[in-house]
Amino acid sequence: MSKPAKGDMKTDGAQLKTTKATKATKAKPGAKANDAIATVRQRFLVSADALAALVDKLAAAGTPAVAPAWTADGTTDATDATVAATARETEYRSVSGAAELALGERLPRLSLKQYFLPPTEVLFSYRRNGGGEVELTPAPTDFAAQVVLGARPCDTAALPIVDKVMNWDYADELWNARRAATTIFSLACGVEDDSCFCSAVFLDPATAQGADGLLTPVDDGYLVETLSDKGDAFAAAHPESFAALAAGTDKAATEQAERFRAAAGERVAGHLTLDHERLRNWLENHFDDPFWATLGLRCNGCGVCASVCPTCHCFDIVDEPESVGRGVRRRNWDTCQTCVFTLHASGHNPRADQNARYRQRIEHKFHVYPFKFGDVLCTGCGRCSRACPTSQDLAEILAAINAKAAGESAAPDKAGKASKAAKGADAAPTTGADS
Amino acid sequence: MSDLQDTARRLLDEGTVQVVIGWEASRLGARPVFVTSADDCDKLIFDTRCVHNLATFLNPRRVQVAALGKAAVVVKGCDAKAVAGLLREAQFERDAVVTIGVRCGGVVSEPSGLEPPELTSANVAARCPGCDVREPASVDFLVGEAQPEPPVTTSLNERIGELDALSPAERFAFWTGELSRCTQCYACRQACPLCYCERCIVEKSQPQWIETSPHPRGNFAWHLTRAQHLAGRCVGCGECERACPVGIPLGLINRKLQQVVHELYGYTVTDDPAVPAPIGAYATDDTQDFIK
Amino acid sequence: MTDLSTFEPRVTAFVCNWCTYTGADLAGTSRLHMASNVRIVRLPCTGRIDHLFIVKAFERGADGVIVSGCHPADCHYTAGNYHARRRFGVFRELLTFMGIDPQRLTFSWVSASEGRKWQDVVNETVDRVRRLGPFDSYHGLAGAATAADDPFAAIEATAASSDAPEHRGAS
Repeated sequence: MSKPAKGDMKTDGAQLKTTKATKATKAKPGAKANDAIATVRQRFLVSADALAALVDKLAAAGTPAVAPAWTADGTTDATDATVAATARETEYRSVSGAAELALGERLPRLSLKQYFLPPTEVLFSYRRNGGGEVELTPAPTDFAAQVVLGARPCDTAALPIVDKVMNWDYADELWNARRAATTIFSLACGVEDDSCFCSAVFLDPATAQGADGLLTPVDDGYLVETLSDKGDAFAAAHPESFAALAAGTDKAATEQAERFRAAAGERVAGHLTLDHERLRNWLENHFDDPFWATLGLRCNGCGVCASVCPTCHCFDIVDEPESVGRGVRRRNWDTCQTCVFTLHASGHNPRADQNARYRQRIEHKFHVYPFKFGDVLCTGCGRCSRACPTSQDLAEILAAINAKAAGESAAPDKAGKASKAAKGADAAPTTGADS
Repeated sequence: MSDLQDTARRLLDEGTVQVVIGWEASRLGARPVFVTSADDCDKLIFDTRCVHNLATFLNPRRVQVAALGKAAVVVKGCDAKAVAGLLREAQFERDAVVTIGVRCGGVVSEPSGLEPPELTSANVAARCPGCDVREPASVDFLVGEAQPEPPVTTSLNERIGELDALSPAERFAFWTGELSRCTQCYACRQACPLCYCERCIVEKSQPQWIETSPHPRGNFAWHLTRAQHLAGRCVGCGECERACPVGIPLGLINRKLQQVVHELYGYTVTDDPAVPAPIGAYATDDTQDFIK
Repeated sequence: MTDLSTFEPRVTAFVCNWCTYTGADLAGTSRLHMASNVRIVRLPCTGRIDHLFIVKAFERGADGVIVSGCHPADCHYTAGNYHARRRFGVFRELLTFMGIDPQRLTFSWVSASEGRKWQDVVNETVDRVRRLGPFDSYHGLAGAATAADDPFAAIEATAASSDAPEHRGAS
């Protein structure tokens, strides 16, 4: 899996400002993150039974794997067979046995992000000592090694994207330490729905971006390809699970895996196509476009989209006293979709309404981040659209902007026909996004 | 449906309102829509997918909606209760909004799907069975055909009974498990038509009564407060639970408090804004069995 | 976990200024003996006692809470206690439903002349909470980073030192 889908690259050739992050790759958005994909080191065949045994073994050893698992909570009972599969949800969690696994099922409701940027984490604790001195105890960063099995490629791919933010002007010790302590085997995805659009953001359902190994379903189990030292080391540590491919079966399994991945890629490729350079230019030049004045209408401003997003990474920092002279500094997930995110102490709010806040979400993901880091801050997982209580549809909105951008760049006189046409389309702002 | 569209069209044509807040069909299912032109009124739908409580958009703090002008809002019975709640609490004047009531036979739990599904006991929203306002009385217009009773399903009341039968420690363990998933995104609050405060107490930091860190301690404080602030006000529309990205069964808490205010104070939430809410009112002979 | 053999319940009392606080004062000036486990927070009226006071007390290490004010028809502000009665009637049920044992809570009306009743309220509450044991399950909700040590240890340590501006010893 050394290749990003080549087709995805052709629409993109933007001249980005050269930053430290982009130097290595001639500033081709989409290309850099894919640099993180190493070439295949080793191939194994892991039967379904062997994978189950591995999960059980890890749990028994007290080092449970993190994997997609059926939820068992107040709303859906995973053990109740009468609950339709479509009504059952999955989540990433430390699995205590293979019976809990939900590999290749619906997308887990929260992304893998929580294992690297937890919803809340301690940065340090403080204590005021008798003499007026303050004693600080930083949160430990010596995380125990953990392994993730069966992660969605769109979740794994988000990690190198967020790495850039976490190592831009400051190396985030907690994020980096968790990244270093974690080995990730993702599972090529064959379960897409209308909200998925990974192929429109330089990825594909079998991208190995961010993964140490990739599982692909084949007859009798999974073809496992290791992609990094960590991936190799994990395979070497569990030789009874990672069976070397017998001579002769190598080709058949690899070909079968390739067919699976290609088929999945073709299915999702029809969902959305974006011209990122044009999109970015449109976003840069249309900060006050009337289009934005409708997008926030149905938005609740809750930020569920950011909670479930694998790439949204904003956090708030709070000091929470535990007692007199003693407390903890924590950081917690935050989101630009709430009205208090940009509220000044003076009472002024530069993003005064939800239209401005929703514009921020699009601008950051498809203009600001690409401008700074060369990629896009989105893996097309579609969680935001699925989880949105009011069915705000990111793919639809991106398609609408893409079409506006195409319309403008097609017209010779940008100030003339095209913008008139665009205005015509905006004249009846009745829905959040007319596509 | 044409009833609904005609009413909306007339209101916009006559200039009575500048926007009709209703539902439209989209590729991901039904969703709220803001119709500002009579020509677009054929977008408006009402069917079993129209789960959203559109009264939420009447919150005057949703400035981008308020900026569209005077609104007509399409309301199911539960939405009409929320409008009544907002009127009861003086969020706007009665004549500041036009309500178009729809006769409702229940909705499904999720708005997805290209076609409205038949209601069954498996897909009906938890709030619908036993609904007492399937034809809201307090609206300006009532449209649509009379609808049958929603199908019966395992009721919230039964689940509450199961929890009530547990020991305090067992219930605490149950709720600790549920609330441990909360990330304090406040989607429950944002989806709630009656959570309209200019500044929510959880966003006040001097003093910081509720810890915003989503550890279970902060989450208990948040959810106890959310529930307590909605006691006797919650219309039971279930939007908080539907909005929750991690599936916390908030409907159980809300329904429990509906039971409590009924048992203690004989109060049932209604779509009549003239009926005062139980918290904020009192009777000199209120029960005080729990007070020494 | 708290050592049960040496467990002394920590009870926070939120009381109204006009009746219960004065009643508690009377209990003191009358030299009535009662458990010394209660820290009193004085407020203008039970109507001023927010449910979050109770939550915060549990968060910061209380094992039990007392809420007490004027008898019905005795409120200095006419109706504050009636409003409180409704709110706490609901909140008590809410806490119960969420698994917080209502036996950790005492609601009472104690007038300015009822020093002896205050003595009873305090002793009964402390006895009851002592039997229930420490409320470790709530105190530990924020995880090991905060529950590792006794939440009151720092108070006591700080109180003993000279620079403890926030702390006004209640015991």
